[in-house]
Formats: sequence, C-alpha cells, structure tokens
Amino acid sequence: MLKFCPKKCFRVTIDAKNNMAAAMELYCWKGDWDLPSVDPDCLTVLAYARFSGAPLKVHKITNPWKSPTGSLPALKTKDDGCISQPHKMIIHFRKQKYNADYDLSAKEGADTLAFICLMEEKFLPALIYTLWVDSKNYVDVTRRWYAENIPFPLNFFLPNRMHSSFLDRLRLIKGDNGLEPGEEAEKELYKDALECMTLLSQRLGNQTFFFGQSPSSLDAHVFGLLAPLLKMKLPSNKLQQHLKSLDNLCHFCTNILTLYFPPEGADGPSRKASSPHGGDNSEFDNEPHKRRNQILSVFVALGAMLSYAFLTGIVSVHRVDSHHAVQKTEAVRIGEDEINGED
Amino acid sequence: MSLAAEAFVSQIAAVEPWPENATLYQPLKDDQILLSDHASSLAVQAYLRMCTLPVQVACRANAEYMSPSGKVPFIHVGNQVVSELGPIVQFTKAKGHSLSDGLNEVQKAEMKAYMELVNSMLLTAELYILWCDENTAKQITVPRYSTPYPWPLNHILAYQKQWEVKRKMKAIGWAGKTIDQVYEDVSQCCQALSQRLGTQPYFFNKQPTELDALVFGHLFTILTTELTSDALAERVKNYSNLLSFCQRIEKNYFGDNDSSSIVGRISPFS
Repeated sequence: MLKFCPKKCFRVTIDAKNNMAAAMELYCWKGDWDLPSVDPDCLTVLAYARFSGAPLKVHKITNPWKSPTGSLPALKTKDDGCISQPHKMIIHFRKQKYNADYDLSAKEGADTLAFICLMEEKFLPALIYTLWVDSKNYVDVTRRWYAENIPFPLNFFLPNRMHSSFLDRLRLIKGDNGLEPGEEAEKELYKDALECMTLLSQRLGNQTFFFGQSPSSLDAHVFGLLAPLLKMKLPSNKLQQHLKSLDNLCHFCTNILTLYFPPEGADGPSRKASSPHGGDNSEFDNEPHKRRNQILSVFVALGAMLSYAFLTGIVSVHRVDSHHAVQKTEAVRIGEDEINGED
Repeated sequence: MSLAAEAFVSQIAAVEPWPENATLYQPLKDDQILLSDHASSLAVQAYLRMCTLPVQVACRANAEYMSPSGKVPFIHVGNQVVSELGPIVQFTKAKGHSLSDGLNEVQKAEMKAYMELVNSMLLTAELYILWCDENTAKQITVPRYSTPYPWPLNHILAYQKQWEVKRKMKAIGWAGKTIDQVYEDVSQCCQALSQRLGTQPYFFNKQPTELDALVFGHLFTILTTELTSDALAERVKNYSNLLSFCQRIEKNYFGDNDSSSIVGRISPFS
C-alpha cells in the first residue's frame, strides 16, 4: 500500500478541490461475488476512475430504467450531458484532467489501443457467450442473478431482453452461421479467447501493471473483462479454468481489487471524501420506494378483491328509501344480512 | 474455416511441399473489387511474397461465393482451399514457412494485438465508408459490387450486402458515428501504427512479419484508391514513416519483374 501513497494523497487534494463543484455521477450495476460491479463495462469505468482519481458519485443500482440513459453504465456530467459508452466516459475523464495514461510514452499509448482492440475482438465475444449463451451458465447464474436483483416487474422481461440483444450481437459479429448448434461456434470463440488470455499473460509478464508501476486505461479494460470471469461462480467454466491457470493475470485482478476496491468500511480517507454517500445513497433511495410499493400493493389487492366481490354478486347493496321500508321488509332483511356477512 | 477442417488441413499441409501452381482468387480487379477486399487481397499477396511462396492471382467475378468462408481472398494450394489472412498464415506455418518465429513471446502478443487493431479499426472504417456513406455507396460501391450481375439481381444483391454491413455496424456500435468520427478513428489508428513503427524499417525491426503485410495491404490500397473524396488517403499521408514503409515494401517485394502488376491492379475507382 505504501508505494501508492503519493497518488492517494494527490487524489485527496483533487477531491477536496472538487467537492464544491458537483461531482460526476456514475450509475452502474451493483456488485456481487466480491466485485464492485457485476458488469464488465461498469467495472472498466469504475477502475479507470479510481486509477485516475476522478471524483465520482456512484449509484449502484439494479434497475436500468432508473439511469438517465435507460441503460447501464451511464455517466451524468455537467457539460456533456449523459454518456452511455465506456470509452466516451474515459475520454470525458481525460478532458476533465483525470488521466491515468499521463505517464505513458507514445509507443505505450499505441500498445494500449492495440491491446484493447485485441480484447474486444477476441475475448469479449467469448465472455458474452459464456455468460449469456452457454445454457448452463445463463440459467443458473446470469439470468438468476439479474432476475433476483432487478425489481419487480422488470425482472420478468429485462433478463430475456438482454439475452436476446447479446445473442443478436454475437451473431452479427461472428457472421450469419447460427450460434444455436453451439459446438463449432463455441469452440472457435473459446479458442480465440484462450489465445487472447495467454497473450495478455505473456505481455504482462511479472509486472504489477501492464506499463510498470502505475495502472493505465489498458489495466482498467483488462480488469473489467477478466475480473467477472475470475470471481463469478460458473458451472460451465472452461474459460474460467484457463484464466485461473494463468497466475499472473489472476494476481493482477485480485491485486487491483484489494488496492483500489477495498471492502466497504475499511476505506481510506480518499474514498470518504469522494463519495460519502456512494453506497448508502442507493439504499437510501430504495427505502421510500419499498414502503410505497408495499402500500400500493395492499391497495391494489384490496381493490381487486372488492371489485370481484361486487361484480360476481357476493356482496350487493340495495338502496332502501325510508317510506318503503315497511312494504319491502324482505328486501331490507336480505340486504342487511349480506352487508353484515361482509363484515 | 471450421476448426475440424483447420486441424485436418494443418495435418495434411505438413506433408506436402508448396506447389508451383498455387492460386489466389479475388474479384475482378478492374471494375468489381472493392477497397476493403483489395486491401485484404494485397495483404495476403504481400505475406506470401515475404515468405517467398509463389502464387498466381486469378480474378473471378464470383470469388466471394467460391470462398469457403464467404470472404475474399482465398488461396487454392494443392487440393486445399484456405481463405483470409489469419488461416493462411497458420496454413503456411504448418508447411514450415513462418515470418514470426524469431519473435519472443511478448513481441508475438504485440503483433497479434496490432493485427487486431488494423482489422477492427481500419477494415471497419473502410467498410463504413464504402457502404454507410451514402455518396460513396451510390457512386462507387453499389455499381462496382453489382457489375457482374444482370438486372434485377444487381440491385437485390447490392442491397442485401449493404443491409448486412449496416447491421454489423449497428452491432459493434458504429452505426451512430458520423463520417468525420470514422476519419478520426482512422487517424488514431494510423497514429498508433506510426508511433509503433518509429524509425524501424519493419514493425519488428529488420524482418517483416504478417503484421507488416497486413498494414501494407491496407495502407497501400487506401493511398492508391480514388474515392469520392480523398479525405481517407489524406489521413494516412500525415504520417511520413508509414508512407516510406509502404514504399519500402512495394520496392522490396513487388518491385521486381512485375512492378506493373501492382500498379495496374489498383485501378482508381473513377
């Protein structure tokens, strides 16, 4: 921890300076499996923000409809509106002078671009496949997680919609040969991904980060894509096994997790300064909604029961004029009986 | 190319030497081939020349439909057919011809990464400009693509292809880009390549690799092809070391007896 001290101090001063100006707000999927977020894109942005020291107010939510763009991640900024693509968020951070790549040489900058392309072309399709298409993982882990965490009633259709959009994306990237038969397409995707992980491991060697001692945007990208694969508990785990066999990549991920995403509560002062209401806020947001939902559901249920009772004639109300009361004693009696019965 | 076929091919390939009559197939060079296909084809030719493997170039109007993967170019060697640069590199490797054996592990990783950079940025940008820029599509791409087909097939096939490319752009998030943003991406890619190359003759110093062949194929084609505007070529011309890199490979590998062939093959789209 000690050797990162200068950066942290630097971050604290920046945070103090920016406390007045409204910080940028990041909406992202909430975390699980010891990860700060379950989504690769969210992880990349979170990691980059931590690396560069950008002050962020983080909303960890599970309802994409609550984000300002309707999708996650989303970055709400003061002057550029809302941004939904991770690489544009990183460009925005850079414009705000939060640059994790400041120390890189031109050649290292070029390498960053090349390796990001390599990961997106070779590894990302396989990751999407293993999380969203592989039926065991999808049913047991991915869909289950999203269905349990997305609030009712979105949890019934959002996971399916995400599934089909990922499937479409894979089909288009990999050409029109359908993915359903699985076997052939799966082997090809996995072969590329395994090769890609091996290449990354070779490039990393025994360094702490890809370009020496301090993390850069390439580290954020690699971490974002590899950490979920490393931490999630997947029943069909061919990719996972290969990653676990590459010790330096595993160590790279856990190292970033412990240094930059310490467990809640055991945080350094920098985090308190940058996002005092980060975690609490989201729970705070949820509380009134929960109460409202409870009350609403009680009313809806009551209304349904009553209207059913009226419509089917279990309860009927007869209006009785006082003059005719004597003539219509029978009707009154029946009416009273039924009203009493309801009570 | 499927994995099973690939494994089979590499087994067979190992035993047979490179034949004299190997052929590379590509679309008609004068009035059909598109910028992106020409770039890929030139990359394969450059690669084979760097390996000193002889190959004849054959132009066929239906090359796209002859190829096992639906992509051009493809080579016909002995009784095997292999398409696209990646599989062709593996195929020649199985036959004992490789350009990247001298590299260490890190360099190999970097080479692969830069090849993906070229494929995912330059190639995609070329496809975007050809099919998604209305002007270029109407004046150049559609007429050239549909030359060999009679009415109404020409309209149907060109429309189908354009639709396919546009859907792919949507899937990779390029659909919302403007043409200027695409040029900006090309600049970014060229800048990365230029910085990586520096003052070396080839990307990994003295010896050319498949990365050099790929970069040459794309940049040379962009530089020598006339489109509706020369904005694309201008972006590449900003980097003088990339220009001399292209000239160097052209001189060293295409400069001999058939120097006319490369120039002649690149017919300006007019």
